[in-house]
Formats: sequence, structure tokens, C-alpha cells
Amino acid sequence: MAAEAPASPGGGSHESGDQSPRSNSNAREQDRFLPIANISRIMKKALPANGKIAKDAKETIQECVSEFISFITSEASDKCQREKRKTVNGDDLLWAMTTLGFEDYIDPLKIYLSRYREVIGDTKGSAKAGDTSAKEVVRPSPNAQISHQGSFSQGVSYANPQSQAKHLMVPMQSNE
Amino acid sequence: MRQAGAYSGILSGGLSGKTGPHSLPLARIKKIMKKSGNDVKMISGEAPIVFSKACELFIEELTKRSWTMTIQGKRRTLHKEDVASAAIATDIFDFLVNLVSNSSHSMDNPVEIETTSK
Repeated sequence: MAAEAPASPGGGSHESGDQSPRSNSNAREQDRFLPIANISRIMKKALPANGKIAKDAKETIQECVSEFISFITSEASDKCQREKRKTVNGDDLLWAMTTLGFEDYIDPLKIYLSRYREVIGDTKGSAKAGDTSAKEVVRPSPNAQISHQGSFSQGVSYANPQSQAKHLMVPMQSNE
Repeated sequence: MRQAGAYSGILSGGLSGKTGPHSLPLARIKKIMKKSGNDVKMISGEAPIVFSKACELFIEELTKRSWTMTIQGKRRTLHKEDVASAAIATDIFDFLVNLVSNSSHSMDNPVEIETTSK
């Protein structure tokens, strides 16, 4: 579970001779890249079971992901400047992705984002109305915790919330 | 109670500060966003959320396209040259071309060989 903290020792030394401006300090490695363990996990999901991934490929993808974030963020940030807004928001990013050719990502992202807004809207709303109901959302019961892990092992499917809900109901009923 | 369970399921799937096993750390995403330019001053809370999913889609797509290159070379291990070839062969990955060809400096430019042979 605590995979993210020291997870990327491999990301450290592979480009010590690189002259790119991004690698001015190896000490900042942790800040410039996402953890290689997370990236590796997502890569493996995309390959057939017999597929192997060399370390250099993981490191290259790791760099590419940071480049992707910067690429999209810069475009979104330009738009914000033109419109004299100070905060880059999710819609700016979606707009930037469409502009830059990643329109295929938009639909899954919109689903993901609308579900997030639902959750946050509810959490914020109830936090303003009264703390008790907000706490209920934030702190899951021990039984709920177990059922999350169950649903993760199937892969998190935001497109199909019903199967998740069904999955959650089993331990919940025994709780009540 | 059912609803709370479903919600916290979403939350621990990467929408909270703590990341679940399938997502990417939001704080790190935010740091990388801030390094994108001096004019990136404020970032909404949902922006790293969007990226946590977008990066996942991006990694999957780049990996699949790279794997196609691996298969074409009749190999079963994905190497960085495959990533480079995939980036060069795909229009939307044009922004990666400099990065992937720079980072293959130790090889005798395998990227060019693969693209010309296509």
C-alpha cells in the first residue's frame, strides 16, 4: 500500500549525462517524475501477460509522462492568461487536451471528473451544513475498507458503478 | 451507508490525497504542473485529479503503441527504442520526439533505422 514514498530508486541515475534543462539537479528527481512503480504497474496492465518491459523503457515512459503533464499544462495555462484567469482548472486541461489531439481521452475523463464533482460537491455541501455527515463520507467503516480492496482487484471501473455498488453491498448487509 | 461506501470507494481510488493502488500521487502531479511554466501559479483541486486519470490513459496508449513496435521487431521485451519509434510514428506524440531521441544518445540512433525501414 505504501508504494509511493521511496518507490523510484531506478529513476535516479539513468540520465546523469543528459544535457536537457530538466535534469539540472538529480536531487530534484523526486519532484520531476511520477513514481516508477506506479508507472510500471499501469504499463503492465496495457501489455499481454507474456510481455516484458525493460527498465530503460519504464524510465523513458516516466520522462514522457512528465513531458505530457507539462505540455498540457502549458497550453491550459496560456488559455487562462488570455482569459485573465489565475487558476488552471480541470476544464482548461480538457480543453488543452482536445486542442492538442488527445480528444479520445475526453470522454473517460469527463466521466471521471463528473463523479469526482459529485463526491466533492456532496462532501463540501454536507461539511457546510454540518460536520457529522461529512465525516461519514470521509471515514469509511472497517467493513467498507475491505470491500474497496475487493473492488480494486477487479480494476476500478468508473464507467460501471453498479457492479461496484453490488460488490459493496455484500459486506454492508452483514454490518446492518 | 451504502452511499458512503460507494463514495469512499471512489475516494480511495485516487481522488483523495492518499492514492490507492491504481492511481498516481496527486501532490507529485501538482509539482510537475507547477514546473511547466512561471505563469502556472494556481491550480484547482480537480486539475491533478484530471491528470491522474489522463496520465493513466497516456501511459496505456504509449505502452500499447510501443508494444506494437516490439512485436514488429519480433521481440518480447519492450525497450526504450520501441517507445521512441512509437512516439515518432504517432502524430499526437510529436511533442515527445526530442525527448525520446535525446535519451537514446547512448545507442547508435536506432530510432532512425526503425522509421526508415518502415
